[in-house]
Amino acid sequence: MDNAVFQWLFAWLPELLQSLVWIVILIMAILLPLLLAVAFLVYFDRKIWAAMQLRRGPNVVGPFGLLQSFADGLKLLFKETLVPAGANKGIFFIAPVVTFSLALIAWAVIPWGEGIVLANLNVGILYIFAISSLGVYGILMAGWASNSRYAFLGALRSAAQMVSYEVSIGFVLVAVLVWVGSLNLSEVVLAQSGGVGSWFVFSHFPLFMIFLISAMAETNRPPFDLPEAEAELVAGYQVEYSSMAFGLFWLGEYTNILLMCAMTSILFFGGWQAPFAFLDFIPGPLWLMIKMAFFFFIFAWVKATVPRYRYDQLMRLGWKVFLPISLFAVVAYGGAALALGRV
Amino acid sequence: MRQALPNLISVYPELLMAVGAMVLLLAGVIRKTPSIDRLSRLSVLLLLGTLLVLWLLFFRLEGRVVTFNGLFVMDAFGLFMKTLVLFGSIAAILISGPYLKEKQISNYEYPILIVLATLGMMMMISANDFMSLYLGLELQSLCLYVLAAINRDRQRSSEAGLKYFVLGALSSGLLLYGISLIYGFAGSTSFDALALAFADGAPTGVVVGIVFVVAGLAFKISAVPFHMWTPDVYEGAPTPVAAFFAAAPKVAAMALVLRVLFGSFPELDEVWRQIIVLLSVLSMTLGAFVAIVQTNIKRLMAYSSIGHIGYALIGVAAGTEMGVQGVLIYMAIYMTMTLGAFVCILNMRSRDGMSEQISDLAGLSERDPMMALALAILMFSLAGIPLLAGFFGKLYVFLAAVNAGLYTLAVFGVVTSVVAAYYYVRIVKIMYFDKPVVTFERPESKSLSMVLTITAAVNSPLSFILIGPLVQWAAVAAGALVP
Amino acid sequence: MIAALAFYMFAGLAIFAGLMVVVSRNPVHSVLFLILAFFNAAGLFVLLGAEFLAMILIIVYVGAVAVLFLFVVMMLDIDFSELRQGFQQYLPLGGLVGMIVLGELLLVLASGLGRPEMVRIPGSGAVRIAQDVENTAAMGQVLFTDYIYLFQAAGMILLVSMIGAIVLAHRTRPGVKKQIIADQVARTPAESIELIKVETGKGVKM
Repeated sequence: MDNAVFQWLFAWLPELLQSLVWIVILIMAILLPLLLAVAFLVYFDRKIWAAMQLRRGPNVVGPFGLLQSFADGLKLLFKETLVPAGANKGIFFIAPVVTFSLALIAWAVIPWGEGIVLANLNVGILYIFAISSLGVYGILMAGWASNSRYAFLGALRSAAQMVSYEVSIGFVLVAVLVWVGSLNLSEVVLAQSGGVGSWFVFSHFPLFMIFLISAMAETNRPPFDLPEAEAELVAGYQVEYSSMAFGLFWLGEYTNILLMCAMTSILFFGGWQAPFAFLDFIPGPLWLMIKMAFFFFIFAWVKATVPRYRYDQLMRLGWKVFLPISLFAVVAYGGAALALGRV
Repeated sequence: MRQALPNLISVYPELLMAVGAMVLLLAGVIRKTPSIDRLSRLSVLLLLGTLLVLWLLFFRLEGRVVTFNGLFVMDAFGLFMKTLVLFGSIAAILISGPYLKEKQISNYEYPILIVLATLGMMMMISANDFMSLYLGLELQSLCLYVLAAINRDRQRSSEAGLKYFVLGALSSGLLLYGISLIYGFAGSTSFDALALAFADGAPTGVVVGIVFVVAGLAFKISAVPFHMWTPDVYEGAPTPVAAFFAAAPKVAAMALVLRVLFGSFPELDEVWRQIIVLLSVLSMTLGAFVAIVQTNIKRLMAYSSIGHIGYALIGVAAGTEMGVQGVLIYMAIYMTMTLGAFVCILNMRSRDGMSEQISDLAGLSERDPMMALALAILMFSLAGIPLLAGFFGKLYVFLAAVNAGLYTLAVFGVVTSVVAAYYYVRIVKIMYFDKPVVTFERPESKSLSMVLTITAAVNSPLSFILIGPLVQWAAVAAGALVP
Repeated sequence: MIAALAFYMFAGLAIFAGLMVVVSRNPVHSVLFLILAFFNAAGLFVLLGAEFLAMILIIVYVGAVAVLFLFVVMMLDIDFSELRQGFQQYLPLGGLVGMIVLGELLLVLASGLGRPEMVRIPGSGAVRIAQDVENTAAMGQVLFTDYIYLFQAAGMILLVSMIGAIVLAHRTRPGVKKQIIADQVARTPAESIELIKVETGKGVKM
């Protein structure tokens, strides 16, 4: 609010409204680039996927096909909105809104640099965890309200899957936050300052792996995309959606993936910090974006190469492999933190 | 400053049990085909070890030790009750083997659940705060619900489990409601603090709270009018489980009643004594009259246990140290009597399987004179015939009542025990004077015979030797509870 | 001002949502309103400065418990008119019990109002926490230091409930094919592949 330009523009407003406008501006400062990034990431995703399958991928709309996502978006926007007969109308339309808005509000606590964060919450990790655990509601509501077997099956799969993987994600977060001694995301990043050597990816390698894989399951990305397994369920909970309602799901999904990339960077790769001191001249937000792009590449890579899991295998992995390991890790890292005098 | 670790010495027995139970559980899970026999033996060893630790500990600790921020207390009263409970649980595991084999119940969790239930009981006995009381009670109750339904393929057993669960949950609700009222007025759930807070009277709300708490606890000791579950559960649950229900949990719940009433509301005795007198009179009456028409011996034992709880409550109603002493003696003797009687029921195995009909006992004296003798001793003792242990139990509570001026209650107790003697003696008559109908084949089990021999011996006129030390010990324990 | 506005919004919505849980005809709507109520309760916690509790409320109740709840309600085809059949019949009794409880609460309130002073007993009751401690840390101190006994006891209870569920409901069915990953991984070409030279026109015996 102390910004000179802001003062010049809005000084005539009452104090209360001023702060409100300021918050809106900040939110826009995060959301607009984010949505723009999502548009390009979809393109990026398709390009990587195509490259790995020795195809060309989108290359018609705009230079190198860069505008493909915008064309797709525009097309969706002009389509007719269909509501299946027997659908529960209210919930049918709330569902995509829930998915999309939940995907957006989680970004409030992501720190982009030292002190550059919209809401520096003391319980930032828990906030993210809470929001991501809510993501299942959009899918569940969509599946149920569509009044279609495929959609409902997809929703049920998704609910069970997300609840299962949340458990191990939760334990990974606990292990990290015990190590850091704070639930604040900025503190987590600061605890990893001092170059690439002090990033948690090395000291917490097993947790990093669990987190990355669980993140894929949590966002319903391949190889864990059973809720929308096109071969069995057509498109799962999205079957009945068309037009912008479908578009919102689509945006929400990619925003969530991006969020998980950001979380992985923050928890294990030092967030906004440069890997080496001589690279400090590159600003923090840029570093975070570079790291997110890197993880997004890994997500796309996995999607292109790994075949889809069977449902029982998915559950086995979550409950019989990740849960015991992460539970043990909480004890082990907690004990180590105690022994090293970190707490 | 806060201490990192509380004083753990006085909790060693409970710690040992908790860790031991988990180790046994793990052993059962890891083994592909866990043997219930071996786990039972290990569980008995664990309980014996706990008993040993408990006693060793008591010689090291002096007087009353409170730990865990006032949540847990260890004193002579706790020692007495815990010893009883441990013996009850050990006996329950010992007598289960043949029955489980007969009914093909192969859940290795059975002895472990008994151990965990015992842990809950020990926590109840040592509770010095409503919160620890409630958690101990729930731990015990959950184990008991599962145990009641453990023969899940049999409808009666599942029904018993479900019934017990629903009514148990209701009683827990009553208890919690009462606790919340009391907490609302005192701002504390600690017994010591409550005793201080209500040293000079209490508002009506607290009285309402006490009524609810007593109602909740009365469910657990199955005092009338909160007894409805008892006959059905005893009948439906597997017999060794019913034996366990009648013994250890009753003792623990009675300890809870004493601890709550004497520990946290010593000055409000005018209030709760009235309630206890009512419960006692109703229990004695119902236990004496309804039992007469029973044909199933497990149901008979259920009504018998209701009646006996009524007698024990006479001691509580007295509200004095002597009364508490009477209750302790009564519970100790009651436990041996009821366990012995249940062993006899377990021995009622004919060619067609287990029998539960009283009429099947006819002519037992010819077919199996030793068992008939043991059962006769136990029945006479339950009836309170002089010279046997049961008589002393009644004697001490009646004496306490008379000393406290509760003449009517004492007279009532005597009258109902005369009525109750009818059906106990009838069983003896059936065994000795009726024509035999079925032949029992006692299951080959040393532990069954051992428990039966010990309980019968303790209740026989030999009890003269044992009653002296028991009375003294109970006096010490009562002294620890009532200052 | 904003805090007061927020309070009224959260509180009002919580009450509205709570009411809708009971009133709405569709059970799925009921659960969704229940979730809304949880959210508003979490909001109230944030206003009280208990952000840790607020987040835990959302994670545990909304994120896990209510999901499974919704799951079950969606799968079951609940006929509400059937459920309501007994309503008329039990209304008088239920109403009576409700009135008695209400009466007792009023009694308690009335008798408590007269002597508000007797509520504090020094050295007991609520545990005091230093002002400068963050509320997550304070929670940890109370739970893991002062009330560690209760915490562990609750853990034992949960263990027993798990044992109980397995004892009463788990059945090992014979003849079920299970994937054993370790066996699959341990398989080698040597033991699973056989090379056979097939002579033309003769075929092979398997």
